Amino acid sequence: MSYLFSYDYRYDDNAYDTETSNKQVDVEDSIGQIYVKYVEPGTAQYGGIFDDTMLRLHRTKHEQFVRDAMHGLSSGFAVLDASQPWLSFWSLNSLDIMGRTIDSTTRTQALQTVQRFQDQRGGFCGGQGQLPHLAGTYASVMALVLVGGDDAFASINRERMYEWLMTMKCEDGAFAVHEGGEVDVRGVYCVLVVASLLNIMTAELVSGVAEFVARCQTCEGGLGPYPGVEAHGGYTLCGLAALEIIGSTHVLDLKRLARWMSARQMAFEGGFSGRTNKLVDGCYSYWVGGAFSILQRALSRTPQDDMLYERRALQRYVLACCQDMRIGGLRDKPGKSADLYHTMYGLLGLSLAQHYVGVDPQTRITDTTSVYSVPARMMQWDVVTSAADVVGVSSNVVKPVHPVYGVSLVPLAKCIKYFYALPPLAPSL
Amino acid sequence: MRIEDSEQAEEAVSLAQQAEWQDITPIEQDEGEGSMCPIAYTDEYRELMGYLRAVMAVGEVSERALALTARVIEENPGHYTVWVYRKRLVEELESDIAKELDWVSEISSKFPKNYQLWHHRESLVTRLWAPSNAQSVSEDQRVTNPVLRRELQFLGAAIDEDSKNFHAWSYRQWLISTYALWTQELVFVDTMINQDVRNNSAWNQRYFAILANRDPSAVHFEADMAKSEIEYVVEHIKLAPNNDSPWSYVTGLLLRHAPSMLYTDLLPRIKQLAADNAYQAAMTLTPFYWSALLDIYEQQAADHPDTKKQLVEESRAICDQLASETDIIHCRYWNFRKTSLDTC
Repeated sequence: MSYLFSYDYRYDDNAYDTETSNKQVDVEDSIGQIYVKYVEPGTAQYGGIFDDTMLRLHRTKHEQFVRDAMHGLSSGFAVLDASQPWLSFWSLNSLDIMGRTIDSTTRTQALQTVQRFQDQRGGFCGGQGQLPHLAGTYASVMALVLVGGDDAFASINRERMYEWLMTMKCEDGAFAVHEGGEVDVRGVYCVLVVASLLNIMTAELVSGVAEFVARCQTCEGGLGPYPGVEAHGGYTLCGLAALEIIGSTHVLDLKRLARWMSARQMAFEGGFSGRTNKLVDGCYSYWVGGAFSILQRALSRTPQDDMLYERRALQRYVLACCQDMRIGGLRDKPGKSADLYHTMYGLLGLSLAQHYVGVDPQTRITDTTSVYSVPARMMQWDVVTSAADVVGVSSNVVKPVHPVYGVSLVPLAKCIKYFYALPPLAPSL
Repeated sequence: MRIEDSEQAEEAVSLAQQAEWQDITPIEQDEGEGSMCPIAYTDEYRELMGYLRAVMAVGEVSERALALTARVIEENPGHYTVWVYRKRLVEELESDIAKELDWVSEISSKFPKNYQLWHHRESLVTRLWAPSNAQSVSEDQRVTNPVLRRELQFLGAAIDEDSKNFHAWSYRQWLISTYALWTQELVFVDTMINQDVRNNSAWNQRYFAILANRDPSAVHFEADMAKSEIEYVVEHIKLAPNNDSPWSYVTGLLLRHAPSMLYTDLLPRIKQLAADNAYQAAMTLTPFYWSALLDIYEQQAADHPDTKKQLVEESRAICDQLASETDIIHCRYWNFRKTSLDTC
């Protein structure tokens, strides 16, 4: 059934307003003003049909926004001085998803920049002269995946990386994000992504991970950063993706998780919120959208089974409300400015909603004991073109991406091929 | 002299021109031609970072290094490396920890969503009052201890500023579990819930406070405890039935710790509410009521297979209603729920 636009879908505060409901109502007001322009006049109240042909992804504007950022950022960006690898990753990935070429000059630039973040003792830092950090490592490795090529892959010191990752390992199975840093499920995700791509998975590295992630599931059903902390979209993706890498999504109460995830989609806005009773935000298009793709596999659903969220409504939110037509790029919600982070995650979410990237339950590999089972299982994720559902003009279509890794499939495959031709550090998990 | 004053005086003069810093050669970042996303640092920031890298490279422990870290943090509190360095300096210089907490509190107001600030507090607080020492006194005494009282005040202010500040609530969980402040936490949670019944961080904290560090898989609630939580939830549902938080809280709590009470106790209470003229319309219109019924019936059917057929039929009807009328945006999920019923 196609989803109609209607003011009936607006939040009902039961005539008892609180700060939460007032904020929600304000956001709906601004979203409503945008959506109503796409609906046949006079029908909005009763169930108007959205004119999707008016929805267009303004690629050129976003590309300009990203290329300007790659060229240079203002002094205010000093607050991201410890997140420099992210700046490169957000930029490169945004261009790649939009199908824009990364020419050889850009490629060299990216490679040289990221290589400077690698620490002699292993891992990558947020910037030169800083301590290695799991997030900086994750972003650096993903940037190199997008750069591609043997020279990029060979520049990563796998042995040092593994040693450093093990020094971050905690007793409870999780990882500190840097020496003396915080321990949370985000760290777990970063480690597993990097280790699975670089072919440095070992039983030691992943021991206790599944148990830790399971403890992060709250009674609401979603996952928080650490046991006991509120369920949150970002940490849910991190935990679920980490479990998917080690083939252990079954440790979670998937039914309760599905319930919480479903509730993230906002009835009026169509986009996702990150927590119960919080506001919609474009970045959750990936965090929650990606989680839905992984959930599909965890529940052994087929491409003939719907995704458990309304894909078209999500795309409408991104296209109608998240594009910043003033400066280019994508944003959290109307009223906020675009930034590289929201640009990448908005595009990732759009991709996951347009395409069906999944695993055929009939043929899926369930072995989790060999290090080689990891790439085998990860590369089973593929695009099912018959299940594509692109909203708006057909040129809105962006590249399909892997829900676990958040990058497109071809660069990912090349990276895996390179690293799994090398000997593993240990044969089994 | 307050650190602030002396820093303001120093800000006017670059480090390179200060006698005190003559012995240090700053370490510059390698920003070759081909830099991606280069940041156009201000001269001041660039200089600060050059000197910071230099002192960190030799592991210098000194007051001037400490002052330098403060300046860097105020420019970029997300610089996790400088925080690690500062922590070490504070320890090795045996700095006044209470004053250090003062300073952290001051800059927190400028950067409420910064993680490192909170993390730094953790190490300071445990040094000021070791948790093992805290164990030897009662909770009442712990709460009035100046160190903890100050932390609770600081947290109260942060949460007052932003009632759902994720870092604040997370730090609060750390403080409460480290110092076993469970009783006062339930009071705090109740205050926050009454302030905004839709504050999900507060409801999540309620579960946290009730569990009190026990392993969830090992906890089974006594009937009294479960009943009183059900009453608490129902009273808050009455304020605004269309509110996810109390519904998720109570179904989640009971599913984990007293599943049979879902249908022996929660079910009659919510049906009663739905039959009450004052609440009937709101209860019928909110998807959360119907969703709770599904959870309840599923448990009931599992525990009492003789009732299964009828409950599944009723549940199917609820799923259809949710998918087509009450909660259309989530129809694909409700359809999934419906097909799952057959496999229960």
